[in-house]
Parts: sequence; C-alpha cells; structure tokens
Amino acid sequence: MTAGSCAETLRRRGVPLIDGIEKVTGRANYTADLEHQDALVGRILRSPVSHGEIIRLDVSRARALDGVVAVITGDDCPYTFGVLPIAMNEYPLARGRVRYRGEPVAAVAAVDKATAERALDLIELELKALPAYYTSDAAAAAGATLLHNNKPGNIEREVHHEFGDLAQGFAKSDLVREKSFSCAEINHAQIEPHASLAEFDSSNGRLVVQTVSQVGYYLHLMLARCLDMDSSRIRVIKPFIGGGFGARVEVLNFEIITALLARACAGKVMMQLTREETFITHRARPQTDIWLKLGMKSDGRMLACECKVVQRGGAYAGYGIVTILYAGALLQGLYDIPAVKYDGYRIYANLPPCGAMRGHGSVDVRHAFECLVDRMARELGLDPFAVRRANLLRAPTRTLNDLMVNSYGLAECLDKVETASGWRERIGRMPRGKGLGMACSHYVSGAAKPIHFTGEPHAVVYLKLDFDGGVTALTGAADIGQGSSTMVAIAVAETMDISLDRIRVVAGDTAVTPKDNGAYSSRITFMVGNAAIDAAKRLKAILIAAAARKLEARAEDVECIAETFRVGTGSQSALPFSEVVAAALVDEGAITVKGSFTCPPEAQGGKHRGGAVGSTMGFSYAAQVVEVTVAEDTGLISVDKVWVALDCGHAINPLAVEGQIQGSVWMGMGQALSEETRYLEGLPAHASLLEYRMPTILDSPPIETYIVESNDPNGPFGAKEASEGALAGFPPALVNAVANAIGIDFQELPVTADRIVEALNQRRRQTRLTGVLKAAS
Amino acid sequence: MNGSLPPFHLLRARTVNEAIAASAAHSGSRFLAGGSDLLVNMRHGISRPDLLVDLSAIDELAEIEADEQGIAIGAGVRIASLARNEFVSRYAALAQAAVAVAGPGHRSLGTIGGNLCLDTRCIYYNQSEWWRKANNYCLKNGGDTCHVAPQGQRCHAAFTGDLAPALLVLGAEIEIAGAQGRRRISLRHLYVEDGKAHLALANDELIVRVRLPHPIRSAYAKIRTRAAIDYPLAGVAVGLAMSGAVIDTLRVAVTGTNSRPFLLAGTETMTGRKLDDNVLQEIGRLVQKQVQPMRTTLTSANYRRLAAAALAKRLIADLGATNAD
Repeated sequence: MTAGSCAETLRRRGVPLIDGIEKVTGRANYTADLEHQDALVGRILRSPVSHGEIIRLDVSRARALDGVVAVITGDDCPYTFGVLPIAMNEYPLARGRVRYRGEPVAAVAAVDKATAERALDLIELELKALPAYYTSDAAAAAGATLLHNNKPGNIEREVHHEFGDLAQGFAKSDLVREKSFSCAEINHAQIEPHASLAEFDSSNGRLVVQTVSQVGYYLHLMLARCLDMDSSRIRVIKPFIGGGFGARVEVLNFEIITALLARACAGKVMMQLTREETFITHRARPQTDIWLKLGMKSDGRMLACECKVVQRGGAYAGYGIVTILYAGALLQGLYDIPAVKYDGYRIYANLPPCGAMRGHGSVDVRHAFECLVDRMARELGLDPFAVRRANLLRAPTRTLNDLMVNSYGLAECLDKVETASGWRERIGRMPRGKGLGMACSHYVSGAAKPIHFTGEPHAVVYLKLDFDGGVTALTGAADIGQGSSTMVAIAVAETMDISLDRIRVVAGDTAVTPKDNGAYSSRITFMVGNAAIDAAKRLKAILIAAAARKLEARAEDVECIAETFRVGTGSQSALPFSEVVAAALVDEGAITVKGSFTCPPEAQGGKHRGGAVGSTMGFSYAAQVVEVTVAEDTGLISVDKVWVALDCGHAINPLAVEGQIQGSVWMGMGQALSEETRYLEGLPAHASLLEYRMPTILDSPPIETYIVESNDPNGPFGAKEASEGALAGFPPALVNAVANAIGIDFQELPVTADRIVEALNQRRRQTRLTGVLKAAS
Repeated sequence: MNGSLPPFHLLRARTVNEAIAASAAHSGSRFLAGGSDLLVNMRHGISRPDLLVDLSAIDELAEIEADEQGIAIGAGVRIASLARNEFVSRYAALAQAAVAVAGPGHRSLGTIGGNLCLDTRCIYYNQSEWWRKANNYCLKNGGDTCHVAPQGQRCHAAFTGDLAPALLVLGAEIEIAGAQGRRRISLRHLYVEDGKAHLALANDELIVRVRLPHPIRSAYAKIRTRAAIDYPLAGVAVGLAMSGAVIDTLRVAVTGTNSRPFLLAGTETMTGRKLDDNVLQEIGRLVQKQVQPMRTTLTSANYRRLAAAALAKRLIADLGATNAD
C-alpha cells in the first residue's frame, strides 16, 4: 500500500457493494433459499370478499386431513399489530370481519404444498357481505358503513396545519392559481416475493424467525406482542433481501402468521407468498387526490401555499397517519415559502392497506406542486429554473414547521442539470412532439424522532477486534440492497484508515447485533454511519494508545496511515497493524467498542401535533431535467434522457450513490408513465409483473447523474441520504416535459398513452368547435 | 392463489404421428411446445391437462427450408431463431413480429406454432384460481357470465399473438397433421371470432409447418405499454406491393383487438390508387370499423381501436415512402 492512505483510495473511486459478488453469482441466500427441507409448508386462506362479517369459519375438515399439522384462525391471536401504538387495528388473521379481498382468514401448515392447498379448500368460510368502498369519496360519504367503528366518516386521521399569514400571502401575490391532481396507487414491486421461515423450539420456548423485513426490531416487538411471548425468547435474523422500498418497513401479516403456525406445530414452517399475494400484502403508495393553491409574485417568488390532500389508505391503519403527516410536512424544506396551510385526510377503504414507499408521503404532493409552479411560471413568462431560484432557502435555517435545514445544495443541483441538459439553448426550440421539463425534490435523512420512541440512541454499532486482526462491525441496520453494510464498512475503514478487506459486517440478527430502527426514512447512512464512525474512533484510540506504548511516544503524536502506526515521518518507528493489535490485546483480550448516534431534541420537529413527522437532521436535495418525445398518433411517450443532480452532502460511496440516484429516477419514471394498481371490485387485476407495468430496460433512458456535495455539518463525513430524494422530481419533470412537447397539461398520474390520445382528441374537437363558432359569428 | 404446477404425465414424442396418436388416445391431453403460454395457465389452474405431449424433440418441426415457391417454417422453430434466420429476414413483417414477442427468455422458448395457437387473453381470465373463484369464474373458464360483456352470449377474450398478423399479410398457409392425415389451409381459416374457441383445430390436430410464398414488402408494429414483455394492445401488419406510385396489393392484418387475428376487409379497393393521405384516412376508418376491442385489458378499448388505426396508417405511410426510394 504505497499510494496514499486507504481512506483516500475509498473516497476517490467508491467501491462495489461488499456483498455484490454473492448476489451476482447466485450464492446469496434469500429467505426462500434458506434450508427448509425439514420445514412444513405454510399457506394462507384469504377473504374472497371486500367487506364481510365472518358468520362461520369451520376448519375441522382441514385439520382432519392427513399431513396437516396445524390450522390457525383469528381465534389463535387476539392481539392486533401495526405501526403507531395508537393505531394498531389489524389482526394477523381476521377476527369477526374481513375488510378487503385477500385479507388472511386462516392458515395451514402441512407436510407439503399440495396438502396445504387441499386443506385450504376444506376450510368452510361463510360471510355476510357488507357494503364495500373502493374510492375515498364513497368511503367518506355520509351514511357509509364504517370499516372501523371508532372512525366516523371512515377518516383514519385528519391533519390541519397552518403556518404564516396565508391570507396576506395570497393578497400580496400577483398570480394565484389552484389546481386538482390525482395520482394512482402504486406498489413497490420489489423483485423478491415475500417469504418467512419460522422455527419454534418447544423444549425451550424459543422462536427464531428469518424473514424479508427491513426492520427486524419492529418485527421482534410485534412477534412478542402477537404471540404473547417474552421478547428475550425471540430471535429475528435478516437473510439477503431482494428489495424493500418500504414494502417491508412495517410488520406484515404473513410474518406473524408464519410464527403462529410454527408455534402451533412446535416446529419449522416456511411460508412463501406468490407474486399475487405479495401484491395483495401491499403497504405501498396510496391513491392520492391533491388540491393545491399557490400565490406568486410576478418575479416568481412564492408567497403562499395551500394544499388539501386525500389519501385512500386501504382497510387498516398501517403507516397511514405517518404518510398523511409527511404529505403536509414536506411541502416545506425545499423552498422558502412564508405561508403554508395543509389539510390532510387519510381515508379507510375496502382495499389492501397502503403504507410506506420510497419518498414516503412526499411524492404525490411534490408532483402537484412542481407541476403547478411550472404552469404559473409559464403564465408569468418566467423560466422554470428562474422560478425555483427565486425561492431558495439559505442554510442553516428552520422551516415554518420547525424542520432543520443545515445544508442546502439545491442551487448547485439546478446549475448542474441546467448546464448539462443544454436547457437554455434548447428550451422553446424543440421540434414538434419533443419537450424538456424539470422539477426539484427533497427527502429526509432519517426520521429524527423514531416511531417507537424510547429515548435510546438512534443507532448503535459495535466493533469487535480480536487476535486475527479482523474488525467485525455489528449492526442491526438492514442491508436490503441499498448498500448499507458497505457504507458501514467504509465508514470504519475510512475513520481508522485500514483496508476495507479487513472489515466484516454482520447485520440484522437480534441475537448478535445491537438494536437498530432499520431501513426506513433513509436513516441508515446518516445515523448508523455516524454511530459507525463513533465506534471506529474509539477503536482507533485504543490502537493508537497501544502503539504509543510500544513506540514509547505520546498518543497524540502517533498516526495511523494505511494500517501503519508511526510517529512523525520516521520509518524506523513504524509499526504494522498486526503488531499493534497484538499489543492492544495483551491488556484486555478481545476488544469490543460501541459507537452511537442520537438526534438532539431540537432536531425532532415542531411542538404542533404530528410535528415529529418530517423532522430530520438533514435533507437531500435534487433537481432533474427530463427529455421526452410524444408520438401524437399513438400517445406513446419515450423518455429520451434524464439529467439529475443530487445533493447528498458527501458521497461516502460514489458508486452506490449513483446507483441509488438512478434507481430513484427509474422508480419515479414507472410511477409517471405506467405503474398503477387496478382493482376490479376490490380484486387486484394488476397482481403480476405482467399487469403491473414496471418499465423494462428497453424503456429506460440514459440517466446522467451529478453528485453535489454540500457537506452537512452533522452528517457522517458530511453525508446525507441518497436513495429517495431524486424520486419525487421525475413525475412532475415528465409532465412538464409533455406539456412542453404537446402543449397539454396533465392532472393525472400515470400519463398513459390512452390519456394522451384522449387529451389530443379533446383538443382537436375543441379547436374544431371554436372554428365552427368563429365561422358562425 | 397457488402458482404451483398441478401433476401431469409428460410424453416426449419423436415423430408427428407419435404425438398425434398419444393425443388422440388421451382426451385430457395438450401439446406442449415452448410452454410459455400453457404452463402459466396451468399454474393459474385454468388448464389442467393430465398428459402433456412434448413436441420439442420432433425433428420435422424444427426446420426452416426455402424452395422455389417460398419458405416452409417448422412449427417448432423457436421465435428467437425465427428472428435471426436469413430466409425469414426477407419477410420483414415476420422478422419484426418475432423480435416484438414478449422478452428474450420467452422468445428463446416460444415457437411459431405455439404463438399461432396462443390462448386468448382477458383480464378476468388470466388470473389465479383464488381470483377467478372470488369472481365466480367466467364464460371462458368454469363460469356462465362474460364479465366483459355480461349481456352477451360469447367470450370476448382477445387473441394477442404477434406472428399471426405478419403471416396473414404475407399470405401464409399452414399444414395441419391429425389422425385423419394432413391438410393444408390458409392461415386465415385457422381462426374463429370466439374467445372461448378461437382455433379451428381438433384437440389431436397439430400445426406442422407454415408456408410462405415469395415475400412482398411488409412491416409489423404493436402498441404496448412497455417496450418489452407486454402483449399487444393492438398489433398491425401491413403487406404492400406497388406499381410505381400506384398500389398493386395492400393487405392489413390486426391482432390484439379481437378474439382472432384477421385480415382487414376492403383493402382490395385500394388497388390501382395512388398511395396518398385519402387512402390512409380510409384505411384508418376501415380499421376503426372492423376491430372489436372489448374491456379485456386494463387499457381502454377505445384507445386500442384508435391505436390500431394509427398504427395501420403509420405503417402504410412508412412502407409507401420506402417503396418510393
């Protein structure tokens, strides 16, 4: 190692994910790949109706079938599960009532799949149908049957927030416009279908669960609650996970059901859901109606924003309250707006429960906002970039709703994509059918106040160093493909200036790793990264002290560069890593250090009700330009190119950051163009990768990414999140580009070919009508 | 909601006669070519054959031959091979249709015969057993109501094969083998406008090969939500022969909109006319009039109608332009 320090090498290039080789060679074991020859097969009986009272549920014939080991129903679990303690209204298996088609009603464990499925056929289920609602309007209409008796109007939660002087803001505006938007419900469509493997050892009353969870800690808590077990008897292990995007942030019914079955069998049960069941489990972005009103000065300065959001949340609470709060909170933190009013309504409907999805709560509202801003800019004769620049924040600052903004690279993001796309030379000079559009977005780097608030640190990382000279990092943070384990390894290697190969990361095993709040709200890099740096500094201090003793120098004079400890530049006094480790171990044997990170109370949001949601130590910022071609005869849109810049504070691993930016853009593109869940009387017609139209590689444009480094004062090495911030900008940039290409503004997502053709035909009819009227007059 | 294949017997036939004999002896049998359609339907519980007669080892079905009349393509030729075959490349519509089928994995498995015999599709039909049962099944499978047209008497599931329209405009004939011997029919006579029984083939009959006369200028294009994987919402093939600036022969075939792929009626009246905008408008109107898209897809039927017409016009205009060069 002659060419500079280990840390410099890491910083310069970025590194492939440390578990990448296992994945691309097929050696990685996902839940379904885990050894389960000896496991029973679990299957779930699901409700055939959207809303109904369970009149009779007779499992006796199923139980009597040869090869069936256990059959369980709602009677076997009287405990609800969920996210917020105040809104856990869902049973793993329905009790008394079913509220959506596909809701689990009973479950079977049998010697093989065929037997399990025969057993499901033998279960007798009699239901009395109740009125079912598939839209927010129908569910919230006067006189509608309540899905949950304690929630009048089928409203799960109303939010009313107002900051600043709204009336004055609109009064002083030169242009006030309002518009309604509607965004379809979408799904994460992570490639790995859901699966869970649970083993209950009746000899010691212990339960081991291996599953697809993004947050093993929540699952651990819910298993203890729903199985009424002491949490010390439970172990949750995270295998390789094939994507999450929020699908697995909350505890899922099948995970608890699998554990219940394992206990009922006193054995091991493997539950593998089909793609259809994986879609039905859902917990994704809700169908959302947005009404937005903005007030703007003639120079583009925004003075007031009023927004009403209605989310069709599905049949149970899940993350609903958090989502409807995010939708309002993240109206702020991107631009400087002196007055903001938000009214949010989360509605229950007889559909699979919605939940968290990449860009949680912010995407649909940001879409409406960035579309309306663009249209107002057009009306005022202003350039879209100029309007955004007229409304920039200045860091450090606090928003009206008390969110901290400590670093802010949006201006630089705008510059990057404006230049790279050739915006100034090209906008307004595109040939017919071609257009450019742009938009901005942002996202939190971890919720500063976690949902299960305990007062504990937000993240804890252990480092173990033993005789072999290997450093093992132990973290509860779930690597679900986003590269968080690699990030931990880099944070340690860079802090200690040791080789990345020396570090092994053990992640997500509640028997071994310290508790972590898991992979959600893009918190891991910021929080776990800081905890890893803290731990690495402590370990480094121990090694420096040992080296100092050996070198008979003062600790403050000893440096470690590229695994070599030395005083000053004298090479005669250099010690290799192994000698220093041996020296350090002499006194105390194997070394374990702990690092932690805590978000201070002032980062945890405003004092208003719901003020904790949206709070974070640092926002990422993004700007993007999308170029499209619209075929006017078929309505098909081709996305020709995307330029995107993300302020992630500092790119700890530039390779991974680039991948995450591209992934965000791509996911935003799916939502913008083609992705949509579709229910026919509550039956999911989209529940396959054929009917759920995620873009294919042939639909994917070249994506030029630019990393902007604003060096956040609190982030690890200055880093912020990089995985979500660039998503929300795509749909509005696309809609703005389509408007630029064909002169039509779309209010609905996705912008499908049939919507384009319909809109063009309508315009033609209108033009003809206008012509006829003119001729007549 | 199971997704697992039900048990079945598999017979790997070595000759066409062996396959037909096996099929004739078992009423519950199905021929298996690439399996990319049938096996999915079996996993959904739609089709439950107790015997699959695998055709993949029959040499006779695997060849592409050219002679003075044109070419003969064995029904077992994989779609991927079709797409890169040098004889086939002269039949532009067919080569274009072949690369437009599904994705690379499907094309390497699927065969031309299988694609011609593709089952019809409908959003109420291509669903799991749990789904269809919760919806009281449908006219095409186990039920007595067509959810697409509840007042109607027939199934409206749509044919979505990509190769058929290309072959129709290229004047394909197919050779069919059965217990009674072999027969040759025009491809257009293979199809019936009935989503539940769209193939004029007996259960023990098998397409052996597809014959094409010498090529005319042709093209195929399809409308789909994504640029790969998806079945056509509408697919159009055009065959065009010109005498100078005047149309000699114009054929248009459509897939994805009806229960069968079909040749557009009325194109013969274009013969002798200059290929101009009027012709294109008329063809557009003919397509709009003759296609019968129903709510069998999540994309609106009206869009499929308009898109089919738009495609036809675009393809003819493009072909006319190439012709002029």
